[in-house]
Amino acid sequence: MPPFDLVAPSTPEEAIATLRTRPSGEVRVVAGGTDLLLDVDAGRIHPTTVVSLRRLPWRTLDWNGPALTIGSTLPLRALENDPDVRVRIPGLYQAVKAVGSVALRHRATLGGNLGRSAPASDLIPMLLALEAEVDLLGPDGARALPLDRFVKASRATELGPFELIRSVRIPEARPSAYLWQRVRPANDISQIAVAIAYSPRTNGWTVAVGGVPPRPRLFPEAGAVLGVGAPTPEAIQKAADRATRAVRLVSDRRASEEYRRHLVGTLLARAVRAAAAPEEFHR
Amino acid sequence: MTSAPLTLTVNGRPERLEGVPGGERLLDALRWRLGLKGTKEGCRSGDCGACTVLVDGVSVLSCLTLVHDVDGSRVTTIEGVAREPIGNAVRAAFDRAGALQCGYCTPGFVMALTGLLNERGTAAPLDELLDGLQGNLCRCTGYAAIVRAIALAQEAIR
Repeated sequence: MPPFDLVAPSTPEEAIATLRTRPSGEVRVVAGGTDLLLDVDAGRIHPTTVVSLRRLPWRTLDWNGPALTIGSTLPLRALENDPDVRVRIPGLYQAVKAVGSVALRHRATLGGNLGRSAPASDLIPMLLALEAEVDLLGPDGARALPLDRFVKASRATELGPFELIRSVRIPEARPSAYLWQRVRPANDISQIAVAIAYSPRTNGWTVAVGGVPPRPRLFPEAGAVLGVGAPTPEAIQKAADRATRAVRLVSDRRASEEYRRHLVGTLLARAVRAAAAPEEFHR
Repeated sequence: MTSAPLTLTVNGRPERLEGVPGGERLLDALRWRLGLKGTKEGCRSGDCGACTVLVDGVSVLSCLTLVHDVDGSRVTTIEGVAREPIGNAVRAAFDRAGALQCGYCTPGFVMALTGLLNERGTAAPLDELLDGLQGNLCRCTGYAAIVRAIALAQEAIR
């Protein structure tokens, strides 16, 4: 266990100042710790200082009309347990439940998941389909970025060296679904996952796929063919075909490229049906 | 190295720990500082659930929890589970159902189930409890008796 200095500032300003003033060595930020400690153990990172966000007032969940703002250090289990999330944004509820186990979700946070930016993140594809915005706080104040711009690749984001993820804003609760395929539900990551949402405001569908390199991504070409309102079986098939053709896939120890391609189409078709008629669809 | 002292209430007993390094896990503090070896180290990577303990009544993976991050909390381990009515019912149900083979996963299962019943209420539906136990692995695959223990525990509490 490589030693590091753990500091727990009590205000965001103090946390940012700590990031700025640490003179040398590798500085990392920790929220729940469920990713950071794995990286430390594996020797992927060698922090000399770790800044814990546990004292910051960001364990929040605020509904404002159709919009939901989630504080970055809120444990995922609290998000899952919110009765409104389950009913109003079913896809988000399903995506949160797809992250690890209950005990893991009592510690893991949304900010941590976005900061890690894993290609197989369950939360990133769903939040892309919900057109979420990430709120960052740094020495020069706050800035908001669309999640699609924030996420770059595995372990790479737009987060500046002295910035923190403060919250995530979902502009509009939407009929939605998140479906995944993996070998073991709570002890593995998805081979492929599909997130889908329908905007009552624009009457349009958004489709995102996770488990793909270099990062989960949106497929506007698939969303467009789904049209307005409940799509026809033909439109669903066409959207699945488009996404299947457009998506870049790899073979690895979890699944072959061919199997993943098959999953994209199958999960997409099921996810559209689940989002359009959640009461008839149980997974 | 962080050496600010921290306080925990472990199984009802106040504990003050000094000189704990910043990177120390709750798992290691429980086993090696407090001698509570009932909490098991399995995978040490959050996959197996063997190290599950309760922090303020809900389950956490002690292998992926920094002990400084739970400073001031109430921690319950398998050694203290019988002090609480729900925990005691779960413990007794595992005993009655013979829900163990080698026993290595048992403390984690008992704590995870106790945490779920604390959180969801003792009448939580079976499918929800099974769903909530997916993060606990039994390498002996003794799951059938574990599922029986869930029903026994719920019956005993009712």
